[in-house]
Amino acid sequence: MNKDLRRKIIEVIYEAGEGHITSSLSIIDIIAFLYDKVLKFDPQNPSWEERDYFVLSKGHGCVALYIILQKYGFISEKDLKTKSSASGILGGHPDCTKVPGVEASTGSLGHGIATALGIALGLRIRNKNNKVIVLIGDGESNEGAIWECALVAAHLKLGNLCCIVDNNGSAGQVLPVCAMEQKWISFGWETYSTDGHCIADIESIFQRVSFDQRAKPKVVIANTIKGKGVSFMEGHGPWHAKIPTQEEYGRAIEELAS
Amino acid sequence: MSGLRNNFASVLHRIGLRDPNLIVLVGDISHYRLQPFAKDCPGRYYNIGICEPTIVNMAAGLSKVGFYPVVHTISPFIVERSFEQLKLDFCYQELGGNIMTAGSAFDYAYLGCTHHCYNDFGLLKTLPGTQLFYPCSETELECLFSQVYQLKALNYFRLPMFEHGISIEREKIIPGKGIMISQGKDVTLVAIGTQLKSAYASLSLLHKRGLSADLIYIHTLKPLDDALITSSLERTRKGIVIEEHGIYANAFDDILRVSYRITDLRLSSVSIPHRFLRDYGSYQEYCQRLGFSAEGITHKVLNELFDGTL
Repeated sequence: MNKDLRRKIIEVIYEAGEGHITSSLSIIDIIAFLYDKVLKFDPQNPSWEERDYFVLSKGHGCVALYIILQKYGFISEKDLKTKSSASGILGGHPDCTKVPGVEASTGSLGHGIATALGIALGLRIRNKNNKVIVLIGDGESNEGAIWECALVAAHLKLGNLCCIVDNNGSAGQVLPVCAMEQKWISFGWETYSTDGHCIADIESIFQRVSFDQRAKPKVVIANTIKGKGVSFMEGHGPWHAKIPTQEEYGRAIEELAS
Repeated sequence: MSGLRNNFASVLHRIGLRDPNLIVLVGDISHYRLQPFAKDCPGRYYNIGICEPTIVNMAAGLSKVGFYPVVHTISPFIVERSFEQLKLDFCYQELGGNIMTAGSAFDYAYLGCTHHCYNDFGLLKTLPGTQLFYPCSETELECLFSQVYQLKALNYFRLPMFEHGISIEREKIIPGKGIMISQGKDVTLVAIGTQLKSAYASLSLLHKRGLSADLIYIHTLKPLDDALITSSLERTRKGIVIEEHGIYANAFDDILRVSYRITDLRLSSVSIPHRFLRDYGSYQEYCQRLGFSAEGITHKVLNELFDGTL
């Protein structure tokens, strides 16, 4: 369950005194898998033309991405320790002009997917086979821009684009996005569904996802649990942007150590 | 209808033929005008549909992989509806791109306020990394566009329906540089974009009242040619700005900011009042009503800069 990565997410946010723990915990397994098994990249040359593109559209979950970027050497341990400080490059939402490996500055929801769409179109025009993967949230799917993109990407047959929906139930708290799979199917996307915390399941899906240049775009509905891994943070209580007390921090770390 | 709405497609076609990185995205307008580009630049023309924020945002993605995107549709649907995409996806991320609008200010007078856009320059100048242009002939568009479209900036081109009709030598058309059309000693006329036509026509009316004027033509709103304007105002101490723009964050404001230290300076403007222009009619009728005419400019100069004494 990537307990070490989860511990690190909580450590970084606790030390910074700012961040979205539960949103990061719901996507960490997916991001870890992508960088481990799917994406091509070169930490020494983040702008490598042959790289695959990963866009984190739900920017508030960025600590999960930061942890992975540090794991592979894009950024340093010191960068993590200075998160959200005046001397640091890492903020509460990612800034691609500062952070190597971050493809888009996100935070305002509904933007990353269209950026990814443009990247995918551009790569196809150049006849390049780089993969483009964007991760959005189900809450983010309240944004109309998501569905404009769903329409456009399917119309353009951007088969090199894959959208992952972190379906952690956030939308359901306010404005539910019902029948998520059927919606994407009706927009013309090749649609998959998986347990977003089960690496074996995620892997089996990505073995079937192709990135052909001219085909239906792909969407993977990743069913996740917000705050996954820390029992008292899981779900939709007060933990969306809450920083743990020292005692809560200790309990969370202890739970993830066992 | 003017040249420019028809001819911008020719400009893009010519540049697209020699630059394989120029790509055009439209929001379901000008589709037929752009067919030569589509035919001769295969894979680089997309009529995306009626989803302007997505078009702008996609264009930023294309810029990220090395294209020079041009987004084209009706002004308010890019500038006002898609403002956050311009701000975050281009400017914040320091990506270059080009916006070319149709329907300057009240060009679409007859369509009503949904299709007007009088505050575009004011809004866009607040964004770091923007350059704002108002070309009013095919030559001006081609000169300005070809000099900036590859830069890492968000270039905004407000394309008017009606040209100013004054011939300007190609070599004088430089981004960020105003053009001295005529020189005088009594008053400075700063004509923005299309209004060069009425400002030029006002010269003879002013002359009849014994006044000679510097006439400065501005096609680039940002960066504004402060030096040319202030050097003229330092001589004349009287100036008027003629611009089809709302009264907030307009060129008048910018000029006041750089010239307020000039002793005994008097500055006036002909601009668009702060209200929705709900009447219908033609562009020309709007110009008459709002004072964008030789007579309107002359009246303001005489009454506001010379206290009606001439």
